[in-house]
Amino acid sequence: MNEQPRTLNWIMLGLIGLVISIYVLFPVFWLFLASFKTQPELAQLPISFWPEAPTLEAYKALFSPTHQKGQLLDWPQLIGNSFFIAVSSTIIVLIFGTLAGYAFARLNFPGRDLILGGLLISRMFQGAALLLPTYRLMSMLGLQDSLIGLVLLYSAFGLPFATWIIASSLREIPRELEESAMMDGASRLQSMVMVVLPLATPALITAAMWHFVGAWSEFAFASILLESNEHKTVTIGLASFVELFTLEFQYVGAAATIVALPIMLIFLFGQRYFTRGLLAGAVKG
Amino acid sequence: MLKSDRFLAYALILPVVAAVLAFVVGPTYNVATLSLTQVVMGQERGFGTLNNFRALWADPVFGLVLKNTAIWILGGTLLCVSVGLGVGAYLAIDSKVTGWLRALILLPWVLPDVVTAMAWKWMLHGQVGIIGQTLESTGLTEGTISFMGDPKLVMWMLVVVLVWRKMPLVALILCAAIRAVPDDQVEAARMDGANAVERFRFVTLPNIAFSLTAVTVISMIWITAEFALPWIMTGGGPANASQIMATYIYQQSFEFFNWGVASAMSVINLVMLVSIVALYLYVNRRSWASEASK
Repeated sequence: MNEQPRTLNWIMLGLIGLVISIYVLFPVFWLFLASFKTQPELAQLPISFWPEAPTLEAYKALFSPTHQKGQLLDWPQLIGNSFFIAVSSTIIVLIFGTLAGYAFARLNFPGRDLILGGLLISRMFQGAALLLPTYRLMSMLGLQDSLIGLVLLYSAFGLPFATWIIASSLREIPRELEESAMMDGASRLQSMVMVVLPLATPALITAAMWHFVGAWSEFAFASILLESNEHKTVTIGLASFVELFTLEFQYVGAAATIVALPIMLIFLFGQRYFTRGLLAGAVKG
Repeated sequence: MLKSDRFLAYALILPVVAAVLAFVVGPTYNVATLSLTQVVMGQERGFGTLNNFRALWADPVFGLVLKNTAIWILGGTLLCVSVGLGVGAYLAIDSKVTGWLRALILLPWVLPDVVTAMAWKWMLHGQVGIIGQTLESTGLTEGTISFMGDPKLVMWMLVVVLVWRKMPLVALILCAAIRAVPDDQVEAARMDGANAVERFRFVTLPNIAFSLTAVTVISMIWITAEFALPWIMTGGGPANASQIMATYIYQQSFEFFNWGVASAMSVINLVMLVSIVALYLYVNRRSWASEASK
């Protein structure tokens, strides 16, 4: 091959790359830019690309108590609620997912593969069809409009995948390590906590990140279950702008940035773990 | 096998199994029985009737919902997989640019639905949206298009956003599959004088056929379950022009309190999901078998 088509190929490669990057980044970036613009600027034509006079007014308004009376929600509270739900359900999922994952990876019992398969398939049904019966169930249990109710629901939804990802990583850890620990007099529990779990840390991080992101982002079930303003979550807060705004996209941009921020940080710093879970999760639905 | 081991195992998996039974299996059963119950204003009045399904069938919106759902699931899947295949083939090339993009492209996948919906709502805004304005200023269209307000366009706009959100993972899975194609096969085809298109068609495609089928079925499952994106973008409107099963279930359940019709629709949605999952298990039977023999 001579030099010329080769350079041309690299240029093509770079150009396609540029187009894909813009396609992926632009929608989010554009909304992010809107959060620094003023109301008249958002409504004016032709569109100004960069904010003419960048301002943090939209963020201030979201966090100031005067702006929330009656129409807007209390964002510090929304953020607190979302964190509470995401963190508590992540802890629950890690604890019970590890216990079950250990059983599926290390112990033999009748129906093992069938039960694990059933758990994974159950994930595929967590959609719109379950909204109405879940609402009815939670009302019956007195758990509608309760953060604890959502913690339980999200934990139940997240446990099968966490169990599976932890089980498959435990399978790769040699049994001999554990057996030698038990030979030295450690109990099964001690050998699990002291020997096996440290080696399974990457899988635990993957499971935790996945669950946190899912719980933080969830909208459908939160929106049917949470009624009072002091119990609502960030996704409901952001979605509520659909009814409120005319062209107030600076608030939408600011709120969307707040909702996306923790996810972006996890994505940025946990890339390695994320991809691992994503590809694993995709293969099993 | 130690008997105590078996008890220990069941004790360890009990919380997970109980949670799934309570919050997934239970509600599934509950909505199935509700669909066969006469419900008036949230009050159950007698079990064993097909009236809810009859009411749904008589609902003039139902036909539109079916048509829109078909565009949503079939159009969405087809576009996700075909665009994903192209992008995946590109990402599979060895270079710094593609390596970096393989990480970046996941962004739409990890962002919350609500954020995605808002970002696209802003870009597709009828008066000051950047897409409409760009089309107008470059002379491609006369005047701005009301993307979300035009009943003929709105469903396809939702599909475009859906593809933005779901295509990246399809591309990554197919990229991984393409990279796993044995180099010597590609090299042998090159020696035999096959050009790039022929090598892709006759060497790469047969090698990734399994991944391609699996990812198609998985995309269908994802798209069938997707609710927040269409709901926030259009709420099913204008005038039901973008009403799909998921949004209709939500609207009938929580805005109109029409639980009979909502549960009948939920059951139809579940039957669809079961069929796709069955298809998935059938396609994937090879990997389940290898899993079980481990």
